[in-house]
Parts: sequence; C-alpha cells; structure tokens
Amino acid sequence: MLSYQSRAALDVLIPSTPCVLSPHSQLSKMSYYFTILSPTDTPIFNIAFGTSKGGGDGIARFRFPDTAQYMNQFIIHSSLDIVEEAQWTNGGMYLKHIDTYPPATAYISAFLTPSGARFLLLHQPPQLPSSGTSGSLGSSSLLGSSASTTRASSSSVAANPTSPQTEEAIRQFMNEIYESYVKTAMSPFYKQGMEIKSPVFRTRVTAAGKKWL
Amino acid sequence: MTVYSFYIFDRHAECIYKRRWLPRPASLKSPGGPELGQTMRTGDDDAKLVFGTVFSLRNMVRKLGGEDDNFVSYTTSQYKLHYYETPTNIKFVMLTDIKSPSMRIALQQIYINLFVEYVVKNPLSPVEHPGGLGVNNELFEESLEQFVQTRVLA
Amino acid sequence: MSTQKASRIGEEIWKTRIDKVNAELVTLTYGTIVAQLCQDYDSNYQEVNKQLDKMGYNIGMRLIEDFLAKSGVGRCANFRETADMIAKVGFKIFLNVAPTVTNWTSDNNQFSLIFDDNPLADFVELPDDGRAQDELWFSNILCGVLRGALEMVQMQIEAHFVSDVLRGDDTTEMRVSLVRYIEDEMPPEDD
Repeated sequence: MLSYQSRAALDVLIPSTPCVLSPHSQLSKMSYYFTILSPTDTPIFNIAFGTSKGGGDGIARFRFPDTAQYMNQFIIHSSLDIVEEAQWTNGGMYLKHIDTYPPATAYISAFLTPSGARFLLLHQPPQLPSSGTSGSLGSSSLLGSSASTTRASSSSVAANPTSPQTEEAIRQFMNEIYESYVKTAMSPFYKQGMEIKSPVFRTRVTAAGKKWL
Repeated sequence: MTVYSFYIFDRHAECIYKRRWLPRPASLKSPGGPELGQTMRTGDDDAKLVFGTVFSLRNMVRKLGGEDDNFVSYTTSQYKLHYYETPTNIKFVMLTDIKSPSMRIALQQIYINLFVEYVVKNPLSPVEHPGGLGVNNELFEESLEQFVQTRVLA
Repeated sequence: MSTQKASRIGEEIWKTRIDKVNAELVTLTYGTIVAQLCQDYDSNYQEVNKQLDKMGYNIGMRLIEDFLAKSGVGRCANFRETADMIAKVGFKIFLNVAPTVTNWTSDNNQFSLIFDDNPLADFVELPDDGRAQDELWFSNILCGVLRGALEMVQMQIEAHFVSDVLRGDDTTEMRVSLVRYIEDEMPPEDD
C-alpha cells in the first residue's frame, strides 16, 4: 500500500507540480478552505482547516493570510462557471479537481448534490521557502532521496493536490460530508438555502477533514 | 338464527349506536297500546334499559366472580343477550333469538374489524360521541349489515 | 404478566400484525409538525409543548383501541404491569422501540421511561435561538399519547419529559405518574 501510493504519487508529481513537494514535513501540509453553496449560489457553510495527516496540526496557513478570507471566497466563486460546465460532462456527483487559480496556487475540487448544492474545496499547498523558484530538476533530485519519498508517501494527500490519492481522499471527504449534510438538511428546523449553523455539522466536517485530509 | 338488535355504549354510558333488524319479540312489544304497568317505549328507552341491565349484571358478576370476571350472555324465554366489553369500557350488545350460538367472538370481531377500523381510525369521526351524537359512519353501517347478514344466513 | 412476556408479545405483534412505513417519512412528518407549531406560535415553546401534548392526547384516545384490537390483551393487574405493557408492547408496536422502565417510587405509582432510541427525533437539531434547548420538549406528543390512551383504560396519569438528548442531556427520560383510577361512569338519571 505504502509503496504503491508513493510510486503513483511520483508519477503525477514530477511533471506537473514540482514545487509542491517538500522534504520538510511542516511544509508539505496543505491549507483547505471548504464551502457549501446553495443552489442559488449563496454560501451556506464555510470552514478553513489544514492537513492533519502525517502529523499535521490541522491549522490552515494560507499564503496570504491577510486576504485569505475574501480571496478564498473569491477564488471559489470564480470557479463556478467551470463547475457548471463540468457537471454535465460527468454523471457522478464528485467532479474531482476542476479548476486551478495559479496566482494563489489554489486548487478547487467540487462535489455536486442532486438537489443542486455544491461542495467546493479549495486546497493550497504551502509556500516553499525558496518561493517557488525551484525547478523540476531540483524537485526530482529531492525525490531521489529515499527519505523524502517516504515522507511524501506518508503525507501524499497533502503533498500533491492532483494525485489520484488526493482525489480519492477528497472523494471520501466529500462523501462523508454529503452524508452529514443530508442529515442536517433533514432536521425539521433547517430550511433549504439557510446558512448551516449547526455545531454538530461543523464538528462532523472537522472530523472528516481530520480523517481524510 | 335471528338478530333482533345491536347496541354500542361508550365509556360515558352513552348509547352511540343502535340498530334494529326485526321487531322485538312478542312479549317485549306492546301490541295494541300499553299493557298494564307498561308504557310505550321508544328505541331510546330500549337502549337505556339494555344499558341498565348489562351495567348492573356486569357489576354483579364482578362482585361475585372477581374483577376480571365478565358475563358473556344471558337468555330469557324470548331472547338471548350477548355482551362484549373492551378494556376501554366500550360495551357491545346484541339481542338474538334463543337458539343462537355464542356471539362473543362475533362481537369482538365487530369491535376489532369494524369499529376500530372504520370508526376509531377515521380521523374525521369524533373520538367521543357526546350528547347522543352517535356513530354516523356509512362504512361501518354497511359492513355491520353485511356481517350480520352472513351470520343470519349461516 | 412479566416484562419478558410483555416483550415477547410486543415482538410478536410487531412482526406479524403491523403495517410498516418508512421511518424517515414518520420522522420528517413529525418534525414538520413541530417546526410548523414553533413558527405558528412564534417560538413560544411552552405553548408548542402544550399543543403537542394535546395532539398526542387525541391520538392516544384512538390509538388505545388499535392497540387493544391488535394485541388482544386485557386489563392490567397493577400499574407496574401497565408500565411494562406501555414500554414493551405499546412503544414496540407503534415505534419499534422498547424504552426501559425504571426509577419506580416506593408506592409503585411513578416510573420513568428511558429512551435509548427515539425515531421521532432522528436528524433533529433544535433551533439555536438560546431558548429551544431549555424550553422545547421536541417529543412531547408522546406524553399526550400516553395520557390519552391510559385515560381510556380508566387511568388518569401525568406524563412529562425530564431530559432529552436533543437538549444535550445524556438520556431521554419521561416521567409517568398515576394520579388515580377513574371510576365507571353512570348513565344520567332519568327525570
């Protein structure tokens, strides 16, 4: 399992996103911003958290902390057009990674409920100390060392936003949230399109984040 | 077998349903006007008499046979009265000819299959029937009619 | 009649004589009623509790007949037997739960029903207006059902919830007290 993961991670990793991988575990932690949009595009739930896997502390550290709050919302909303396009190309509810916003190195994954709510997850790898100047050559040399490979595999979800492992982990995360979302929506005191204030739901989302991401 | 009449009394001692198929047996009738010591009675009076009888009889039976005892029927030279009471104090009474077999099971079936199904479970039918409002329910009456017919023919 | 025997009767009736419906349908229907009452009474939760109890009372008066028709059980010998009958047969056949009967007073006139599972409250989260958690008894209809049903079998009782997991309590507990046995009613005297 471990070796498969690391190998698969490498395949995807090397050509596309070299700058993401870091030999320092603290730096391979992702920051996440998760939003649920009602069918009428109103945000009804937001939460920011960080990687918990592989010893992460679960705290979000966005690259531009001052503006992250609005920027994340903005980036997520700007991907809605793509969600709309993608939703008809795919019979499934999980659309995987659908959009990237390069200026903030933000990746967006989407999940649609049949009732039209959209779960959007923005994931942002941490900034490298060398502020993204390391080329693919540097990365592959890093990968060459066995220590970093092991590191990458133990936290592969965090390490690469577009790898199959990440997509699978996000699928699990989304499915779990979908289940909680349905339960919350079934509460007689919840009205469709209303902001989800339920502390229980927030706890469940946090737990799902901890479990899968 | 002949069924003369049928009564339901609720827990407030109110007759909530009565139905007569045949005229009362001769001695209960008052041919050619009131006899000595007997006044003309209406159906309402009959119901009151029947209630008074079963109520007293039941209390008496309990005193003699214990709280759980109950009478099933009694027979006179003219008719047989069958009695079934639910734990909710609804009393079902049927008057038949004296050769009739026990109708206790039949009365219980009327309660379970007709009364509960068509009257109690009908959300538009009132739970209680105060002031002689009574069960006014076509489904119940039709099924009762049918039920009694099949018994009579059998 | 022993508790075990009551459990067996409940189990048997549940299996053979009960039409089943989808649990979510029941949950959503009841939830909608409560939510609507909260709205209609402008979140006056005391009033909502009262209305739920009243609705339950009317249901109980009918439900007891169905209960007796289906179970064919007779009168209970004492209040302890009544408690078992409610918990192991009544709740079993109508909600498919069997609350625990406990906390009897020494005079055998008061007991508690502890609900491990409450199908009416699945998915429910009380409104977070800071009052519902302290004032609304979401499943209060059940108190009324018991009151109505037992009144029909000559028992005047009082029932209320003392805790509810929806409020964050550890258990859901209903307290039931026997007030008196109701005497037979006599027909009005003829004038």
